[in-house]
Amino acid sequence: MKRRSWPLLGILAFGYAFLYVPILLLILYSFNESRLVTVWSGFSFKWYGELMHNHQLLDAAWLSVRVAATNASVAIVLGTLAANALVRHGRFRGRSGFELLLTAPLVMPDVIIGLSLLLLFVAMQHTIGWPDGRGFTTITIAHITFSTAYVAVVVRSRLAQMDRSLEEAAMDLGARPLGVYTRITLPLIAPALFSGWLLAFTLSLDDLVIASFVSGPGSTTLPMVVYSSVRMGVSPQINALATLIVAVVTLAVLIAGISLRRDSKR
Amino acid sequence: MSQPPHTHGPHTSRLSRLVNIGIPYLWLGLFFLLPFVIVLQISVAEPALAQPPYTQLWEWVEDGLLQIQINLQNFMLIWEDEIYLAAFLNSLWVAFVCTLICLLLGYPMAYAIATAPERRRTPLLMLIILPFWTSFLIRVYAWIGILNTNGLLNHFLLWLGVIDEPLQILHTQTAVYIGVVYSYLPFMILPLYANLTRLDPTLLEAAADLGCRPLRAFLRVTLPLSMAGIIAGSMLVFIPVVGEFVIPDLLGSPGSLMVGKLLWTEFFSNKDWPLASALAIVLLGTLVVPFVLMQRLQQNMDENQT
Amino acid sequence: MAATPERRLLEPWQDPKAAPYVRIERLTKQFGDVYAVDDINLNIFKGEFFSLLGSSGCGKSTLLRLLAGLEYPTAGKIYIDGVDVTRVPPYSRPVNMMFQSYALFPHMSVEQNIEFGLKQDRLPRKERTERIAEMLDLLKITDLRKRRPNQISGGQRQRVALARSLAKHPKLLLLDEPLGALDKRLRENTQFELVNLQERLGTTFVTVTHDQEEAMTMSTRIAVMEAGQIMQVDTPTAIYEFPTCRFVAEFIGSVNLFEGKVMASEGNEILVEAAAGFTIRMRSYQPHPLGTPVTVAIRPEKMRLCPAYDPNGVNQIKGIVEDIAYLGDVSIYRIRVGEGKLVEMTLTNIQPRTEQALTWEQEVAIEWSPTSGVVLSE
Repeated sequence: MKRRSWPLLGILAFGYAFLYVPILLLILYSFNESRLVTVWSGFSFKWYGELMHNHQLLDAAWLSVRVAATNASVAIVLGTLAANALVRHGRFRGRSGFELLLTAPLVMPDVIIGLSLLLLFVAMQHTIGWPDGRGFTTITIAHITFSTAYVAVVVRSRLAQMDRSLEEAAMDLGARPLGVYTRITLPLIAPALFSGWLLAFTLSLDDLVIASFVSGPGSTTLPMVVYSSVRMGVSPQINALATLIVAVVTLAVLIAGISLRRDSKR
Repeated sequence: MSQPPHTHGPHTSRLSRLVNIGIPYLWLGLFFLLPFVIVLQISVAEPALAQPPYTQLWEWVEDGLLQIQINLQNFMLIWEDEIYLAAFLNSLWVAFVCTLICLLLGYPMAYAIATAPERRRTPLLMLIILPFWTSFLIRVYAWIGILNTNGLLNHFLLWLGVIDEPLQILHTQTAVYIGVVYSYLPFMILPLYANLTRLDPTLLEAAADLGCRPLRAFLRVTLPLSMAGIIAGSMLVFIPVVGEFVIPDLLGSPGSLMVGKLLWTEFFSNKDWPLASALAIVLLGTLVVPFVLMQRLQQNMDENQT
Repeated sequence: MAATPERRLLEPWQDPKAAPYVRIERLTKQFGDVYAVDDINLNIFKGEFFSLLGSSGCGKSTLLRLLAGLEYPTAGKIYIDGVDVTRVPPYSRPVNMMFQSYALFPHMSVEQNIEFGLKQDRLPRKERTERIAEMLDLLKITDLRKRRPNQISGGQRQRVALARSLAKHPKLLLLDEPLGALDKRLRENTQFELVNLQERLGTTFVTVTHDQEEAMTMSTRIAVMEAGQIMQVDTPTAIYEFPTCRFVAEFIGSVNLFEGKVMASEGNEILVEAAAGFTIRMRSYQPHPLGTPVTVAIRPEKMRLCPAYDPNGVNQIKGIVEDIAYLGDVSIYRIRVGEGKLVEMTLTNIQPRTEQALTWEQEVAIEWSPTSGVVLSE
């Protein structure tokens, strides 16, 4: 397409503005002295300072990070196994059921996943006594369940692109299947594993609804704290938090992007 | 030379099969499939002032008899009480309208990115994905500050002189539309982009060569060939939006209900677990058709790839 | 050529007492309803440079993968050096393969690629270093040893792939389209290098190719494959000069085919009445009963211009030049003879083009000797 059409570019520009203006405003007002969104009363780091002393929020953030990291680390294993199954094991029995179980969590409304998992945990506690109460463990299990589906998508596409003869060559040169996997396959899909892990981490950090269902007293995640404070109205502390999150995410995505690009140049 | 398909070779041992298929299957079966069975079971129970707050479905009565109680009242209630039906219809309507807006906005964007010079595509796409990685909740929150009666948009419009007094946008259906489109737009663009980049540009050149004008070529070549992307993107938006909770809760009006919010209220405020479960079952049933459509489509695409 | 007939009295495949190095017995590989390899028997001898030749989808790659152990057969047996390896996994076979895509590990240097197989065998470090040096030297790629596969050229990659598959000193080296990814000029040089390398090492090579010229130049013997079956196994000369079936005759080079019936038999010659309306006299190496339908195959370069046409002469026919294709060294003439049959004749351009022997629509007479073709009966 040599010829650019202006209406098309216009829509593209509008789309990007639509996506980014709210975020930029959010960041801008995190540096506002005043509590009011509409009044700019001067540049200040005041809200960041308050954020740093909000213990309820910091505790929740710490719990969220722990949940997110555990979730991502387990989901990357489960998701990679599932991707192996789909790409490497052809038409096994029960494949369509397997694929269904891996696709459904991608679109299933959060309220359904949250409610159903809570009911499961309650029923399990009732019958086998585990999990004892709800908190870190139950939130993490819930998050692993949907994160696995996302990781599987990412790893699967990478695995499917991989030149199969590389693995065959390794086997031909004397490597046993497990050795082939650890010495050839895993290094080659490493970028996908990295972005899969990051994706699972962010999804977990982002979840309000499911965590609200499956958490118990005393275990409040960051989105739950943000939600209750947002319901009270606009709070510049949340703006400050948003700015920090955007900064971290942008940095992570940039690193991931660069590593992917370096990898694709190989 | 085309490689013969890999079957009956030494590639896949029984152990690797067991591990790769078995473990994820077990996990998802236990934590994704089994819960639905329990939801179904509780949806036909009765609420009770107990811990957990519902009656047991079966009981061993004397003489070793198993007594099963099935209570369809919850489903009757959902069918008969106007609130629930209205909420369902409203949810479907919101999802439909938002999917349509996402498509109308997302398709030209995906098309523009897919036809951009190759080296610009990745950064443009990155910019679509980036907001998706930041907190969903906070992005919805951003709109409160913008749409408020006392918010930035109203101030801006007043300053422009377009309006004389602030508009009530927050806590209306419009705010829900804006919030949903804003949050779900990337889900529409990504599959469309993936589809459009695979489109062979020589097809359009061939159409032009055969005397087809650009708009006509688009309607008769590009659009039909990108149908798979359109359906995939639409389903990725439509299905989760039907059950959306956060956006209607924070941006919508308290009066107009959506299923996700209703379910949340029944569960958290009214502590009616059986009714919430029944709502979940009905919601699930509603979403089966679009879900199967999406699944079918995806399997077709996988088969075409191999 | 790798092994010229003068050097040995009897080639192993001619010697009934010679034990084959690779023995393939009634090998079948089915993919669904498709027979990729269909009941094949084949013997390959030690030190051979053996080629599997055929068009794409003929099953040659599958046969190679069966030898490598990358596929297991549906039925049949494979023996290598007397050992049944039919169900031996690829990592335990004394066989290595050079892949068509080379399949060099992108995350390893040239050196590490070569070392990979040696490490799997748990060779001590000292021995590994020696073996790597030997391979780098053998293929003249010592300078590249620290580079990654994406930092070297296609020709260099081919050498690395070869070095990697030879490093373990396999009993059998399999090469899947070894020159397929190289450009034409590089390919010709590499053909000779590959043959020299094979002669020096004495390793048995089995290669798969769709390029007949490549197969002819490099191989001791060629197996021509079609639809999962082997049509003929022979030396390049025999495959070209004495095809045993119509498929092989047409697959290798160009050929003129005359269908007809045997009408007389005189000593070791037969007379064939061609459907195109003339009589052909041919040397026959096997008896043909009168009246059997046969096909006479004569290569275009075996045809000559007939200086003096004699209606009773042997294999002399008149025709009209219909097409001329000038290829530089030779020209191909298509001549309409008899009842409209087109015959191809190749003439070397001894004189410059301006003084070519023939022109369009010219009436000519062509002839060939009874010994310069074969009679195929089907």
